[in-house]
Parts: sequence; structure tokens; C-alpha cells
Amino acid sequence: MASDIPLNWFLYFAAASFSIGLVGVLVRRNAIAVLMAIEIMLNAANVNLVAFWRYRNAPPGAGPLPGVILALFVITVAAAEVAVGIGMILLCYRRWRAADVDRYDSMSG
Amino acid sequence: MDPNLSNVDFRDFWQLAPATVLSVWGLVVLLADLALAGRMSAPARRRAIGWLTLAGVALALLAAAGLIQVQQLAKAETQGTPGWLSPSLAEYFSRAGGAIFLGTLSADLQTGVLNVLFIIMLGLVVWQSMAWSFTEDWGEYFALVTWATVGMMLLAASEELVTLFLTLETMTICLYLTTAFEKTRRRSAEGGLKYFVYGSVSSALFLFGLSLLYGLTGTTQFESIREVLASTGPAARGLSGNVTGATALLLMLVGFGFKIAAVPFHQWAPDAYEGAPAPVTAWIATGSKLASFVALMKVFLHALQPWSHPSNELLGPGWLGVIAIVSAVTMTYGNFAALVQRNFKRMLAYSSIANAGYMLVGVAAASVSTRGAEAAGSVLFYLVVYAFANIGAFAVAAWLVRDKKTDDIDDLNGLGMQSPLLAICILVLMLSLIGIPPFAGFFGKLYMFMEAINQQHAKAWPTLMGLVALGLMNSVVSAFYYVRVLKAMFLREPGGSRRLGLAGGSIEIPIVIGTLVAIFFGIYPGRLMSVMQGAAVSMLTTTTSTSGGFASMISAPSGTGYAPLPPAMASAPASPKSTRLDPEQAKKYADRMKKAEAQAKALASPGAQPKNAPPGEAKDALAKKAEAQQEDQ
Repeated sequence: MASDIPLNWFLYFAAASFSIGLVGVLVRRNAIAVLMAIEIMLNAANVNLVAFWRYRNAPPGAGPLPGVILALFVITVAAAEVAVGIGMILLCYRRWRAADVDRYDSMSG
Repeated sequence: MDPNLSNVDFRDFWQLAPATVLSVWGLVVLLADLALAGRMSAPARRRAIGWLTLAGVALALLAAAGLIQVQQLAKAETQGTPGWLSPSLAEYFSRAGGAIFLGTLSADLQTGVLNVLFIIMLGLVVWQSMAWSFTEDWGEYFALVTWATVGMMLLAASEELVTLFLTLETMTICLYLTTAFEKTRRRSAEGGLKYFVYGSVSSALFLFGLSLLYGLTGTTQFESIREVLASTGPAARGLSGNVTGATALLLMLVGFGFKIAAVPFHQWAPDAYEGAPAPVTAWIATGSKLASFVALMKVFLHALQPWSHPSNELLGPGWLGVIAIVSAVTMTYGNFAALVQRNFKRMLAYSSIANAGYMLVGVAAASVSTRGAEAAGSVLFYLVVYAFANIGAFAVAAWLVRDKKTDDIDDLNGLGMQSPLLAICILVLMLSLIGIPPFAGFFGKLYMFMEAINQQHAKAWPTLMGLVALGLMNSVVSAFYYVRVLKAMFLREPGGSRRLGLAGGSIEIPIVIGTLVAIFFGIYPGRLMSVMQGAAVSMLTTTTSTSGGFASMISAPSGTGYAPLPPAMASAPASPKSTRLDPEQAKKYADRMKKAEAQAKALASPGAQPKNAPPGEAKDALAKKAEAQQEDQ
């Protein structure tokens, strides 16, 4: 493990891609782009989880589920979220003829 | 990978019986809808599928009640095991306490009580859904509502972060979909998309915080996280000494803030509440909020408790100050924003935001206190009372939408003359939500604020007092918008082209049951309060005082408790049960402990003694365990 890539590199990478995802969610107006940005955030967390699992120093009684298992589950959850998200975006697109999240403003206050 | 990893005991599935019944029933409902789709019109299908779902709810209620009964019977050693249980199951239930599936889920009285509550509320929501045809896809709708409930039940039972995240997602993904189910309206799709975007961003934030916490502690188990965090010195704890820890904690707080709709993470709530069909709104406002608060308390009051106020100062380096600020802002903003609303559901959305603020006062009180379980129990009490009142209130919204196609407060005009009995029920619900004395809402606020005032923590007291004072002033403000509803009902003439028709059973029953709960627990709050405090004791497994009379019925923490409790937490007296342990059972218990501790190498070596003297039962078990190991050798 000594010759591996240092843990810090993974963490910098994950933090950077998480920030890119967060900025994407806040800045992009296209609903599909927002969905992609959310995926980037989830995958950044996955990188973290797997890196921490590889380098971890588990305390006694750490439980049966290590981080890599959660990463696998997160991939599944992300797929479910995409399926649901695309469905919702299509539903809105049919009503507004636009995939722009700023246009969906029939309710306010 | 790890030869010491213990196997899952598949009898654990019996402990999940209510959730299993509901999951399977979701599939049954889907299939039945498929079979009926060609032969029946949508309204006929609505009734048929609705009754089928209610049958499943009844079955699940039976399973939940039966499970509690079996657990209690098996615990009461004097009566022996009931004959209808097979010996292996009887043996299993008699030693099963607390954790199942290798400590990832808890199965005790807390989960039992919450399961029953979730199932009853699901029944009311399903019943309410049968009021009018807002969609044609009834099978999918009822299946999704049922599966959302499964997510809630498991979320409230989760004992570690992986399970917590998965069940949280199960719950919210089902709720995103049901929000967008009212196909004839634009606002339903819009509310669904907004809920989805905000919800999944908050999940991603929560997950990133979770991954950092996992990196810091090397574990996902709440108990284990707590031990690791508590073992570091005060300087390394909390927000100022540890950038990664602070990031993790704040991200997780943001994630939960979205789920419970706390300001400044509340933007989705008014739109999703207004857009969703009324029964779904009811389910988001009650079930989802109850489950999220239980999860929040488990994570923050149990796993992250060492970081709440490490330097004994309220606004010092701990999460307590953050919670206090969020709580103050949330209740003030929610109440003042509700004042100007004209839509009934939107008003209830802001009132639900304000209520999240009140409940965070209770959470803040629970984290400083030596009476943490009582304070957490008062939050649970408030949640239950609030949930039933809100289901009733959203039934009113369903009534308005069904007959008038809009749900503004003005649509309630003249209801007092038209159907006086239901109007009086709604009056009771609103008074309970304001917190007027004879009703349950008053006692909910009273208990919670009393717990906050009673904290003997010198530094924390002024801030908690400030929060309570703010909460009381906010209750006064909230009276104004609830009274607008009463004014519309009783003082105005009915207007508009459409009139409200007869309510019908599916709307009457949630309103009446909500009213009965508000009256009954207003007159007898003590019983529910003690049940909720008992539930909170086992929810925060390592909590300090178990002085409540109900505490003796709670199973002793086990399974995940691999190491002695920290000395400050060790004041809990051993439950009466542990003094009655005969050697045979003690050995079983010890074996179970050993299994759970397969990885606890430090403790597994015979020479190593625990640093702190373990209290009561844990001590016995550790001693027995050492004996058992020597016998093995």
C-alpha cells in the first residue's frame, strides 16, 4: 500500500468533483444538466467512500458494512434517481415545452 | 474476506414482519390493478384497489402488534414461552434484544411503537386517497405510498449509516413520484420536479458528509462512531478544531435540514405541498417528517453526541449552536410566511416548517441534557400529536379540491353553517395546532419547552430559555393564521359558484380520528408520553438516565455495544431483568455478545481488560464472555 497513490489525492479529487457538481446544480438552468450535476456529486462521494475503505483503520466493532458496500448501493440509488428524474423532467416538458427549471414557476410565495 | 465475520441469522426476518408484509402487499396491489385495468373504470378501480390496500394495512398492523406481543412474551421469562412458537423461534425471541442483521437495524419496543404509528397513519392516508380520482394509475399510486412507508419504518429502525441512507432514499424516491401523480394539474408535476431536485441534491450533500464521517471514524455503526468520537480529546472535537469533521457535520445537517424542511433549506416544501395531491402532502408532512426526525435524533443525539458541545459552551465549537440558530430562524420565518398565505395547503406547509423549528428546540435540549431521553421523548410526543392533527387538516384540503377544484382558505367560507359537526372537529384540530390547553398540541409544546427549561446546564440555559421564549411568541403569531381558517368557516357566508358536497367517509374519518387523538391525548397525555419516552430511551441506546417507569420494559442495549460505555454515561442502572439472569441464559447472552464482537480484537484477547468499569448488565456479559471463551479453549 505504501507505493499506492496517497489518500489525499483521492480526497482532493473527490472534493473538486463534488464542488463542480454543486456549482453545476446551482448555475445550470437545464433540468437534464442539473440531473447530471447531481450524479457528479453522488460519484464524488463514491470516490471518497472507496478511498477511505481502502486506507481505513477500522475500529473494533465497526459493523458489517464497509464503505465499499455503500458505494455499490449508491450506484443503484443513483440509477433509480436518474430514472425518476428523467420521468419527472419529461412530465414537465410535456406541460411547458421547455426543460428549463426557471420556467416552472406557476407557484410562488 | 474476514473469516471472523459472523453470519446473518435468517430468523431476523421475523422481526421485520410488518415491513415485509407491506413490501409484498405493494406487489399484490400492482398485480391486482393490472388485472382490473381493462375491466373497470378508474373510479371503480380506485375503490377496489383502495380497499385492497387497506386490507394490506390491516394485515401489517396485525403483524406489528403480534410482533410486539411475541417480543414482550418472550422477554417475560416467568411465563415461559408460548406453545405455538416453535422451540427455535422461542429461543430466538427470548435472547433477541435490540439489534438484528449484524447490528444494522434495531428491533425493540421503539421500532415496534413507531411501526404501529406509521401503519395507522398509512391507513388514514390511503383512506383519504380514496376520496376522489386525481389519477388513473391507482395500482402504482397505492404501491408507491406503501413502499414509502416501508422506507420510513426501516429508516426509523436503522442503526448505521448505510442502512440509513438506503432507507432514506427508498422513502423519498417513492414520495417524489407520488407528488407528481395528479396528472390533470400542472402544479403537481412542478411540485414533484422541485421536490426531486432539492431532495436529491440534499441526498448528495448528506452522502458526501457521510463519506467524510466514515473516513474520520472508519465505521458506519452509530454506536461505534460515538465511541471513536468520544475517545478523542475535547480539542479535536467539534467544528473549530477539525475542518473535515466540521464539513462532515454541516453537510449532514444540511441533508437533514432539507428532509425536515428547516430554514434555509425549506424552499421545496411550499411548492411540493401545494402541488402534490392532498393525501400525498399529508404523508410528506407527517410520515416523512416523523421518520426524518427519528433519524436525525439517532445520528445527532447518538452517533454525533460527543460533538454537540465539547467545550461546555453553547455557542462554542459544537453543532448545538448551529441547531439553535437554525431552530430560531425556522420557527420565526415559517410562522411569518404563513401569515400571508391564501392557499390552505401552502399555509399548512409554512406551519409545518415552523413546527420543525419547535421540534429542533427539543433536539437542542436533548443534546445538552442529563435527561436526554426525556427530551427526545417529548419531541416524539410532539411529532405524533402534530402528525395526527395534520392528517386531519390535509383531509380538509382534499375535500376542498374534490368539490371546488381549488384549495384556498376562502373556499372554507360558511362551512360552519353547512356541516357544523365537521367544522367543530376542524376547530379542535386548529386549536390543537395552535396549542390551546385542553388539546394534545398544548401538551406537546408544554413537555418540549419544559424539558428545554429544566436543563441544569449553566452555559446552555440562557440560549435554551431564549429559544423557548421565541417559541412561545411564535405560537402567538401562529394563532393568527390558524384563526383565519376558523374565521372563514364560522363568520363568513358561503360564496363561490361551487359548493362543498357531503364529505363522505374517506374525508370524515381522518378528520374525526385526528380530532379524537387531539382530545384524547389532551386529556390523558401521560400514557403516550411515557410510551414515547420509553421509545426514546431505546432509540438513543447509550442514553444516560432510564428513570422512567417504562424503562424497565425496554430491552437492554446489546448487539452493537461491543465496548463499555463511557463513565459519564454509565449511570444507567441495570434493568431488573439482568439481575434475574440464570446461568443458562447468561451464557446465551454472552455468546450473542461474542458473535457481535467478532472483530473486537482488543477485547477478545483474554488478558485485555476494558479500561472503564462497564456498568450492570454489560459487565456481567463481559465476565460471562470471558468464561465462555475459556471453556472454548
